[in-house]
Amino acid sequence: MKNLFAHISLFFFLSPLALCAKDYNASLFGIKSDGVTLNTQSIQKAIDFIHEKGGGKLDFYVGRYLTGSIRLKSNVQIELKEGAVLVGTTSIHDYLAVEGKRGLIVAEGQEHIAVFGKGVIEGQGAGLFDALQKQIQKGYLTENAQEASPAIVSLSHCKDIRIEGLHLQNACGNALIFSHSQAIHMKDVAIKNRALPLLNGIVFMACEGVLCQKLFIESSGKELSTSADCKSFTLEGCKNAAGKLLVFGK
Amino acid sequence: MKQIHPTLLRLLLFLVSFQAFTKDYIVSDFGAKNDGITLNTCSIQKAIDFIHEHGGGRLVFESGNYVTGSIYLKSNVTLQLDYGATILGSTNPFDYVKDKKIGWMSMIFAVNQENIGITGKGTINGRGFITANNMVNYIHRGVYTDPLKYDRPNETNRPQNIYFRECKNIVITDITLRDPASWNQTYDQCKNVYVNHITVDSKSYWNNDGIDIVDCDGVVIKNSYFDAADDVICFKSHSPDFFCQNVVVDSCVGRSSANGLKFGTVSRGGFKNFKVTNLTIFDTFRSAITFAAVDGAEIENIVVDGVRSINTGNVIYLRIGDRWGKGKKPYMKNITISNVYAEIPLGKPDAGYNFEGPIEDLPRNISPASIVGLLENKIQNVTLKNIHLVYPGGGNPLYAKRGLSPAELDGVPQMRDAYPEFSQFKELPAWAFYVRHAEGVHFENVTFTANKKDYRPAVVLDDVQNASFKRFVVEEPESAGKQQVFPYKSSAIQLN
Repeated sequence: MKNLFAHISLFFFLSPLALCAKDYNASLFGIKSDGVTLNTQSIQKAIDFIHEKGGGKLDFYVGRYLTGSIRLKSNVQIELKEGAVLVGTTSIHDYLAVEGKRGLIVAEGQEHIAVFGKGVIEGQGAGLFDALQKQIQKGYLTENAQEASPAIVSLSHCKDIRIEGLHLQNACGNALIFSHSQAIHMKDVAIKNRALPLLNGIVFMACEGVLCQKLFIESSGKELSTSADCKSFTLEGCKNAAGKLLVFGK
Repeated sequence: MKQIHPTLLRLLLFLVSFQAFTKDYIVSDFGAKNDGITLNTCSIQKAIDFIHEHGGGRLVFESGNYVTGSIYLKSNVTLQLDYGATILGSTNPFDYVKDKKIGWMSMIFAVNQENIGITGKGTINGRGFITANNMVNYIHRGVYTDPLKYDRPNETNRPQNIYFRECKNIVITDITLRDPASWNQTYDQCKNVYVNHITVDSKSYWNNDGIDIVDCDGVVIKNSYFDAADDVICFKSHSPDFFCQNVVVDSCVGRSSANGLKFGTVSRGGFKNFKVTNLTIFDTFRSAITFAAVDGAEIENIVVDGVRSINTGNVIYLRIGDRWGKGKKPYMKNITISNVYAEIPLGKPDAGYNFEGPIEDLPRNISPASIVGLLENKIQNVTLKNIHLVYPGGGNPLYAKRGLSPAELDGVPQMRDAYPEFSQFKELPAWAFYVRHAEGVHFENVTFTANKKDYRPAVVLDDVQNASFKRFVVEEPESAGKQQVFPYKSSAIQLN
């Protein structure tokens, strides 16, 4: 019954998004695919622009797109086409946090958001961790390394989230963190998170209405970490690197 | 100029205290890279914040190229740019903040901070030509909204190199500023601004002013060199409630495709207690000195002593207008300009420089220096002493003519609400000096030289009360017996 409720609410949220979607190429906003240019503010400009126009999709075609943290906004979808790699910068000061958790893609209080496609998100976790530790050693960062390590996706108080088809790898921290969010749909996502020891795949805290389908999660720590207050949670055909089916709350 | 001395003393005291606490931090320790590629905005900002929170100090940029977007300087932090260090502005307009309070974009902002500075023999290079043209592209694509007046983004939608607002105790020394997309550096409603031995080389885009001082109290600018597409040293008053006051400008050299030393154009509050000494202006398109009160400004107690104006389109332009029209009554009084030597060229003085000044107000023969008030707001008490102006002469009435008949003299347009430039009236009836709507204009030991015969007299006075000419000489070929001073609707004129 709970699963059914989750499915219905997902359908309800996703349908208006599909109606008003307009597609924008990344290059329209000067976003560069060279792997060298730091695109943070151009991608942010694109997200803000699409958000202000009532929503739509930002398309990244083949190439490497270097960036620091970007803030996803309501009614904005990001599609990484085949061959597109969103690359996290190794400079720790380029990362933003929501609820104390840094992430490459962050959002707070947004709804109808999506990141999907056949592309890759590369966290450059090892290099980023080196930079992070140097800043801690010099006393310029006061958090401990684990607290400061950025995730790939860190969302808080968001609603109607779709993450589909991507390959996420080498986060500096846990790969994805969802906190106090509702109606999360993840499907066909492959996560490889072993750049550093003891990193989790996906962390859910106080989330409601989660549907995970056919995920592959290989991680140095736990594949899934869920807090006790998560509700309406469905896992279908999600496996770890050993082929073991993942189960909620284990 | 008694008013200035306490300011100088305060500045001096501040400078001494400024030296006392300097802990150095190296920017690369915060992860900034000097490779000219990495965008370091966040690392530099982190470093500034850290130093600010830990008692202050200098953030040292060792030699190399550091790319950045907008950063905010904080209290007790000085950016020290070592010899060979360059801060390069990102060429991506989206890497810059348009500050909500200020309403402009800039690379280095400071708002409500004190004891801040930028020092050292390094360079700040905005790379503004590329940034501005990138912005043009975004506007055409509909990604950024701007009316594209004159087919360029508004000044506020292009980053300046430096914009400090409501800051106290600012030290800018030794640095070189290059090529912003808009003005170079603005100090707005700041107190105690000390600028020494800087270089500005900036002809990268429209509106590249050298330095803009807006509504500041206590300013020293000295030993500095400016080569700028727009005004060189520009004092503005954006607020009717503030003044630029207690200002010393000494030993500066400037080149511009606009004006040298300028008050205005935005001139709402006013300009008081200035001492400008040893100013050199060359290859400059418009006036070496323009004082404009066109938005209700109060201008008084201004001393300019020692000006060389070589190959510059005009020497002195004093103007009261009524452009803003909010009922504020402007005035301009007690202006002394002395020890001036100027050569005005026949050709275009800024020919060949990037972003040459616009050719306009044609047809006209070479324009004279001018003092032009309004009928109800006369410019008062101007003294011109030890002046030698050399003009090309050769004004040809077949090309442009403004004769001396009452109809022709009254026909010079008033242009109360126009943008003030020396050329705005087109042909004027004098070749050396034109004075209109003024009270108390005193020429002493003044020589006007024309290299060729001109059809106009040297001086026309229109609606001038109380003017004197002592030790006054006019040199013009083939003009023996010509009446060189022509008064009209004027009274109490003393000649030699």
